[in-house]
Amino acid sequence: MKESVIQLLLFDFFEGKTTSIQRKMIEEWLAEESNQELFYRYLDQWESEHPQFGPNKEIALEHFRSVMAGADETELHNIEPEPERPFRARRWFLAAAAVALVAAGLAFQKQILYKSLDAGPGKRITYRLSEGTEVLLNANSTLLVPRFGFLHNEREVFLDGEAEFKVTHTRNHDRFVVKMSDRYQIEVLGTEFVAFSRARGKRVFLKEGKVKLGLPEGRQIYMKPGNVFVSGQNGSYKMTVPTDTRPYTAWKEQTFYFNNTLLSDVAQQIGEQFGTQVRIPDTLLAQRRIGGIYKADQVDDLLQILSELMQIEVIQKEDHIELAIPKP
Amino acid sequence: MTAFPLNPLEEDFPGQQPENHDRVRSEAIVPDDEWLLRRQFAEAPDKACELLFRRYYVNLCNHTIRFVHSREVAEDIVSEIFTAFWQNQTFRHINTSYRAYLYKSVRHRAYNYLKWQVRFQHSADEPVHPSESPSPHEVLQYSELHQKIELIVRELPAQCRRAYLLKRVEGKKYDEIAQEMKISAKAVEALVSRALSRLRKELSAHWVLFIMLFFC
Repeated sequence: MKESVIQLLLFDFFEGKTTSIQRKMIEEWLAEESNQELFYRYLDQWESEHPQFGPNKEIALEHFRSVMAGADETELHNIEPEPERPFRARRWFLAAAAVALVAAGLAFQKQILYKSLDAGPGKRITYRLSEGTEVLLNANSTLLVPRFGFLHNEREVFLDGEAEFKVTHTRNHDRFVVKMSDRYQIEVLGTEFVAFSRARGKRVFLKEGKVKLGLPEGRQIYMKPGNVFVSGQNGSYKMTVPTDTRPYTAWKEQTFYFNNTLLSDVAQQIGEQFGTQVRIPDTLLAQRRIGGIYKADQVDDLLQILSELMQIEVIQKEDHIELAIPKP
Repeated sequence: MTAFPLNPLEEDFPGQQPENHDRVRSEAIVPDDEWLLRRQFAEAPDKACELLFRRYYVNLCNHTIRFVHSREVAEDIVSEIFTAFWQNQTFRHINTSYRAYLYKSVRHRAYNYLKWQVRFQHSADEPVHPSESPSPHEVLQYSELHQKIELIVRELPAQCRRAYLLKRVEGKKYDEIAQEMKISAKAVEALVSRALSRLRKELSAHWVLFIMLFFC
């Protein structure tokens, strides 16, 4: 085919103006490897002639230069919050997805195919999965694993809560994937790591080996040993290399690790660990900070420490615990 | 023995000679316009990356936005491709043109983004990396996908389309759009989510076909 002819044909195709017969012709033409090169060349030319918007090249280039200079490791990405945040849209989406699922006959697949391993409030339980991987599940956490063992070459589990994984390497180098809510996932390439997946965020601490993280919008990042990944709200995230990694593993020894931690965060951690709601009505008190490593098997142990240390009053209410400054 | 002398007939076939000639010529031309870049990559990869960025950034963004309908997301995706290109030293292993590689990558990434937006069900068997050499059919399908998206948006009711474009493409806030369209912010929200759910519904239908053709 003549080049000028194919160019016209491709331009028509990019605009959606080709007939199905012409399309077939292009497809056949593309079967020739070198023609694929031409295809992208004309695609590029076509894009030059049909601009959609004016991206700010200079700013982007500036950023790219800093990436090339090596300023990428601890960089904080800010991804725009998704516009369909409104709850109504989400619900519609869920409904639509559910309908689609039922139609596909997959609706109950998860319940049938997976069994759930749980660690109740204040409990830590070690599980050994069928292929040898060890999972230490933190309190108030659930892990879904395949009921009938892992299939083929894919090991896939779902985590809600926090857990440490010591992944066994299989002979066939099978992937081990930890899926979390909000479409985060960790793909393991034989390794030890701590994953945290609760409503307030996602966190992954890699102790050994290598993992690949899948982020909600299809982005992927690789982690090196010692790296900590923390998700923020609205899809932002941060990757750091902390010198002190105790905060990420303290829970394994039934300890709490506080380093200039807000009392409100402490209350949240108690809720996550023991399932006991702790409220601090006094906002000034909630902003007080605390440091140290405390061992606590039960919620009362920790509360007693807090009350003595910070001179606060612990009041047992009907369905929650309240922290307050004692009245004189 | 056949009744017809086949060979002489083929030799007589008028189209064959010039066509062969054409192909040889086009093969010689295609890789040519990037040879300077390639030489630069051998000498100073960072300078070459910058050149590549200058040359393709805007066009790639323009291509990506056809799929994702958001300036910010489009720019993000293209920047990420370049970042990975640099960090993984991808330029050392490329055996196509840089241009083909970049277009293939952004198309794949945009597709992943879209899939994440439109479908919410994970399926484990999706390929993670763009196939090195997509089939001709796959190559064409990407173009057809963005045309489909355009068509869906074009067929939205006028108000709905306007709200959607202001929100998604221009990245405006709900109350800004509300002022511009002289309706309440709630109404804008409803319009945008209606547009998105229409996209979901129609693309999901398209998708079943797309995925089947694409990955089976």
